Amino acid sequence: MKFIENIGELIIKLLSNLGKFILFILFFFKYLFKPKFYLRNNFNYFINIFISTLPIIALTGIFSGMVLALQSYTGFSRFSAESAIPNIVVITLTRELGPVLTGLMVSARVGSSIAAEIATMRVTEQIDALKTLNTNYYNYLVTPRVLSLTLALPIFVTIVDFIGVMGGYIVSVYRLGFNDNLYLLNTIDFLSLGDYLSGVFKAFAFGFIISIVSCYCGLFSDKGAFGVGSATTNAVVISSILILSSNYFLTELFF
Amino acid sequence: MKIEVKNLKKKFSEEFILKDISLTIEKNKSTVILGQSGCGKSVLIKTIYKLLNFDTGSILYNGKSEVDTDKFSMLFQYGALFDSLKISENIAFTDFINNKTKFEKKVISLMSDVGLEKSIFNKYPSEISGGMKKRVALARALYKNPKVIFLDEPTTGLDPINSDKINELILKVITNRKITAVTITHDIKSAIKTGDYYFFIHKGIIQDKGDCKKILKTKNKIFKSFIMGANLK
Repeated sequence: MKFIENIGELIIKLLSNLGKFILFILFFFKYLFKPKFYLRNNFNYFINIFISTLPIIALTGIFSGMVLALQSYTGFSRFSAESAIPNIVVITLTRELGPVLTGLMVSARVGSSIAAEIATMRVTEQIDALKTLNTNYYNYLVTPRVLSLTLALPIFVTIVDFIGVMGGYIVSVYRLGFNDNLYLLNTIDFLSLGDYLSGVFKAFAFGFIISIVSCYCGLFSDKGAFGVGSATTNAVVISSILILSSNYFLTELFF
Repeated sequence: MKIEVKNLKKKFSEEFILKDISLTIEKNKSTVILGQSGCGKSVLIKTIYKLLNFDTGSILYNGKSEVDTDKFSMLFQYGALFDSLKISENIAFTDFINNKTKFEKKVISLMSDVGLEKSIFNKYPSEISGGMKKRVALARALYKNPKVIFLDEPTTGLDPINSDKINELILKVITNRKITAVTITHDIKSAIKTGDYYFFIHKGIIQDKGDCKKILKTKNKIFKSFIMGANLK
């Protein structure tokens, strides 16, 4: 009997959290269109995210492209289809690996920091202080973070795509002996605008998911150091799961 | 501003933290709310400030249930200063985030009022001491010229000398500016020094109330035990 009670309690808690999360998103959109907009805050946050994340995603891009070229060669050389490597590298990166890996890396780098920062602000009563200073925390904290990350992720994905292709190029030309001009020509010829745009669209969606989930986890964290720790972990785990699951549905959309 | 709290109840999950609170905060007087940690003092002032909702009862501000909370200000227990902003930006927070630039003069004047040196103007909260943080938080609370100021354990975490200094400062500020003050504390010395009236909360209800200067003459047994530092049941 106790077991069933516990399951019931868990389901109620899950549904209640889901309801709270949906309300949180609705409030975000409500305040997004209210004119109180802290431009300096938005701009600073965007620059901050950009500078701190760029080295990590650059490394992600180059190594993904390099590994992809090597692995494709291992498989394709078995039926003499090595010439398809540039096509595979560019299409896999732009449509799939670029947005997903960037999403996961940004969730670990930026999502965790958003959740920890906001949760600490909550624990130290800074969120209450904002209210007493007549400052809406959606406008001051949530909007800059969500907008910055939603706009930054497509730029990151573009950078990862480019660096990833260059990684594939380096391995293919200098390790596997491909002709350099032919490699680049095949890459450019094969890539369509639709491939790139489908990745960019995913990036917008992932940026929104990471930022909104991280803000929510931070704002509704439990008290104390444990609360800040859980908020950070939850932000990364939930946004990673949502990135991977929504990726399937977004891929279906562009299939 | 006169604030009347009538039969206030507030619960978290299924537990009532405030069971039945009725009290009156007189205009331009200093009211002290005493009680053990976890008895609901902070919840009470946050409810009065409208930072939290209540379940039943009523709160009247000059006889009306609606109030412009812009007239209120709060000093938080640990200051609640924004770590990423400089001291001056913390004090003039609302002007700063709204890109108003002419706040320097007002900030310096407030810093001098609360006994802060100009040299910390451009420092960050992590670079100053606990006592200074309290003063900065007080300056921030005074920046918007409030009619009512809520002080949540203003001397917590300070040594006796600094506690005394902060108490003197609070007394000076609320007397000079003719502000209604509501202070939460469990420090009897602070209550006697800075308060006009006190309310003692225990187990979610008001157990005792009276004149702060007569705290030590209370006949209430639970409050007496609290003053003596005994474990309350």
